[in-house]
Amino acid sequence: MSHLFDHHGAPGKGYAQPKPLLAGSELSLPDNLVRKNLPRWPRLSEPEMVRHYTWLSKRNFGIDTGFYPLGSCTMKHNPRVNEVIAQLPGIADIHPHQPEHQIQGLLSIYYEMQEMLSVCAGMDAVTLQPVAGAQGEFTAVRCFQEYFRHRGEHQRTKVIVPDSAHGTNPASAAMAGFEIIEIPSKVDGRIDLEALRAVVGDDTAAMMITNPNTLGLFEHDIAEASELVHGVGGLMYYDGANFNAILGRTSPGLMGFDAVHYNLHKTFSQPHGGGGPGSGPIGVKEHLAPFLPTPIVSRREANESEQEQAVDEFWYTWHEPEHTIGKVQQWHGNAGAIIRCWAYYRRYGKELRTMSEHAVLNANYLRHAIHREAKSAGVDHMFVDGAETVVAKHEFTLSLGPAKETLGISAMDVAKGLLDMGYMAPTVYFPLVVPECMMIEPTETESKDTLDTFAEDFAKVLQVDAETLHNAPITTPVRRVDEVYAARNLCLHHPFDE
Amino acid sequence: MVDQLPNLGREKEMLQEMGFDSIDALFADVPMGVRMNEDLPLPDAQSEEELLADAKRLLGSNVALGDKVSFLGAGLYRNFVPSCVFQLITRGEFLTSYTPYQPEVSQGMLQAMWEFQSLISELIAMPVTNLSLYDGSTAAAEAITCAVRVHNRKAEQKNTVYISELTPPDRCSVIHNYCQGAGIEIKKLRHHENGLINLDDVANAAGSCAVYVEQPNPLGIIDGGYTALKEIIGEHTALIVAIQPISLGLVEAPGNYGADIVVGEGQPLGSPITAGGPIYGIFGCTKAYLRLMPGRIVGRSIDVDGKEAYCLTLSTREQHIRRHRATSNICTNETLIALMGAMHMSLLGPEGLEELAIRNMAACTYAKQKLASIPGLSIVHEDQSHFNEFAIEVPDTGKNCLTYLEEKGIIGGFDLSWWYPDQPNRLLLTFTDQTSGEDIEHLAIGLESWVNEVVA
Repeated sequence: MSHLFDHHGAPGKGYAQPKPLLAGSELSLPDNLVRKNLPRWPRLSEPEMVRHYTWLSKRNFGIDTGFYPLGSCTMKHNPRVNEVIAQLPGIADIHPHQPEHQIQGLLSIYYEMQEMLSVCAGMDAVTLQPVAGAQGEFTAVRCFQEYFRHRGEHQRTKVIVPDSAHGTNPASAAMAGFEIIEIPSKVDGRIDLEALRAVVGDDTAAMMITNPNTLGLFEHDIAEASELVHGVGGLMYYDGANFNAILGRTSPGLMGFDAVHYNLHKTFSQPHGGGGPGSGPIGVKEHLAPFLPTPIVSRREANESEQEQAVDEFWYTWHEPEHTIGKVQQWHGNAGAIIRCWAYYRRYGKELRTMSEHAVLNANYLRHAIHREAKSAGVDHMFVDGAETVVAKHEFTLSLGPAKETLGISAMDVAKGLLDMGYMAPTVYFPLVVPECMMIEPTETESKDTLDTFAEDFAKVLQVDAETLHNAPITTPVRRVDEVYAARNLCLHHPFDE
Repeated sequence: MVDQLPNLGREKEMLQEMGFDSIDALFADVPMGVRMNEDLPLPDAQSEEELLADAKRLLGSNVALGDKVSFLGAGLYRNFVPSCVFQLITRGEFLTSYTPYQPEVSQGMLQAMWEFQSLISELIAMPVTNLSLYDGSTAAAEAITCAVRVHNRKAEQKNTVYISELTPPDRCSVIHNYCQGAGIEIKKLRHHENGLINLDDVANAAGSCAVYVEQPNPLGIIDGGYTALKEIIGEHTALIVAIQPISLGLVEAPGNYGADIVVGEGQPLGSPITAGGPIYGIFGCTKAYLRLMPGRIVGRSIDVDGKEAYCLTLSTREQHIRRHRATSNICTNETLIALMGAMHMSLLGPEGLEELAIRNMAACTYAKQKLASIPGLSIVHEDQSHFNEFAIEVPDTGKNCLTYLEEKGIIGGFDLSWWYPDQPNRLLLTFTDQTSGEDIEHLAIGLESWVNEVVA
């Protein structure tokens, strides 16, 4: 084990720094605010620090390490040129309060991203400010709220969410002050139009839904659902977590949605970084555009005096939407993530559709291959499809219910068995409507050979006896971690001698 | 031509095996009425070479702070970050991993984040921290809603919080957006003419749910009055203090003068400014807030063999379990940037942090001495202690002053009329470890020659 706090170098100055302009003794602080004890941080030299973090990195699994079929998370390859671009001083060393004429290049990229995201989703306006998918959801429902207040429709206090929705949907709407109406889904996770019809009314503000849904199925009744909600004066919200399935084939705009968030860290390859940063821009139809967070970028033709600093003869400016909700992040969103996603999209351009087609091709192929290999190994009785369907979209679900009932092997056991085979495990136990659920999303950047090998290995795991699987994993840096112990014996920081 | 897809050219083979004749068949479940029939109106795909050339052209046309002499800060600071931080975070095992849902193969990031919590706990003197929120403004907003959840039942002033009137409007706007859903009323705390908090006014906040102040305050002042705040507002009102992390190498940690929740923009530790994101928000609190706080938390535990291991803990507060009753909707946070912060902190060590704080404050103090001697220009709140920025008052608009300085190659600070419209003649000047004596010389000469022009 390597522990950061085990490094006790001699008290010194850390890495060498240039001399201060004045000595510490010449600085004056209020007497009662002079720090008495410095933080008890460890002391590491650069060689020790580099070795510690390299050691830690080797105990972590990323897309670069191996296949990462984590459903709902769209773990596609992160092109490295994007990292190079995001470190250029023209983005890394920019301050958000710099005047417009100093950052025309950056503003032009913001504008291009707003336009690109608008056309991809069939929306009319986009803000790049929200910094995560959940914050995009929150931003959109805040816009809905101001839209209704503006129209004097104060009675619209309810947001409808299917029970198969991502947890962030109800959490975001509740944070904005809405009451949540959860409606049951059908057995395949699809919208139950009757259940929806029963709850819509004068008090409906919006419905939040993802399509394809969390089982990876296209909601073929989506246009009808939109009609129902619009019919009572409500708005439709598209959770863009599964946008990777449909880009260029259909769009939230065509399906009747009024607003959408994009997970740039899913569809557009911003690296997840072990939990963030992300970026969650939202797109809206024209009637909601005046309520978007401020500022957004607009452009006009550059005049003569501006030509020298103009980009491609345009002049870009920040613009405050007329009835803006204000800000959801203090600056201009996760600009570094937006630059990476701009770089990503540029390498596809109008062929983004091919990206989605391959995501769906790979998901369907992997589903096929898993059934094929399971059958040939004689373990196909251990699981069933999470939903009956001819085609899936970018992901699909399996239910390990039969394995659990007959052999006592749970989805978690299989997940841990896959870790021993050198894979990241798929998402387990979500969505809740599928018993012993395993949600698998290969993404478009995995080769057929990887998918075939994974399908074979999946079948191999199912041939392992229950006892061994309960004890998996055994090849990982640690074995099953005791989460109950962690919660009962809270240890949230280095304990020193306490 | 697209080059990122390993199965290009193998579509037919894969489709045939599944018994489909075309890609279209995979989209047969999309109803005709919602299909997109035209191509996306986007440019042609670019090769990596073409993309790099475009990126360099567009981003190269921006004026980077390092291209000029810059005194712009106002919440984000240009501090040096050692090279090995940038090298290490590009390791794919960190960069390309997701939230550590499978702890057995995520020990590296989990331990790194537990160490991050430990480093931040020590820095701010708080027993509990999470592994980052989006930025300083959302950390402030989440702290306020968290305080209301904890204190509202016993509060005499229900659903009411008080925040410093100096809080920048952009930050206030984020706070407002987060608070309005919970029906929280935000009242302002006054400051004296001399820039310090008005402690008599703070007395009115006793019995409310929370008081929010910043140290140093938005004008760079280290306010000695803050050590009296907790006693004035009492046990049942949360004291929330926002900090600039580097200042804590010299300035007492808020946990040691009564703060209940400490938040802040983590950016100066470990991260470039990057136009305002991705950066990371610091959030720490006392144990009383633990079960109602936002964000992910890592705990140290054991595996089935009794071996030390780390995992996410107290997840029942979070949206994926608690849904609309969650303490926050946050899911994705800023882990990788927090990791940069942890790396920077571990290279600094305690004395390195103190040294870094001294360099910042020394540059600021040195500049104060230099600029004080320029006739026609005054230093606002000159007698106060400033950490790394202070305001000056100039004999014409701050805007005109900035335009003049830019012609001299200087990004001359922040026009305070953006925050406070009644202060058109004030600039906020920022000094960091990146500010040299020559830079300050250059600024002094620029300001003096501008004042001479204006006054003449």
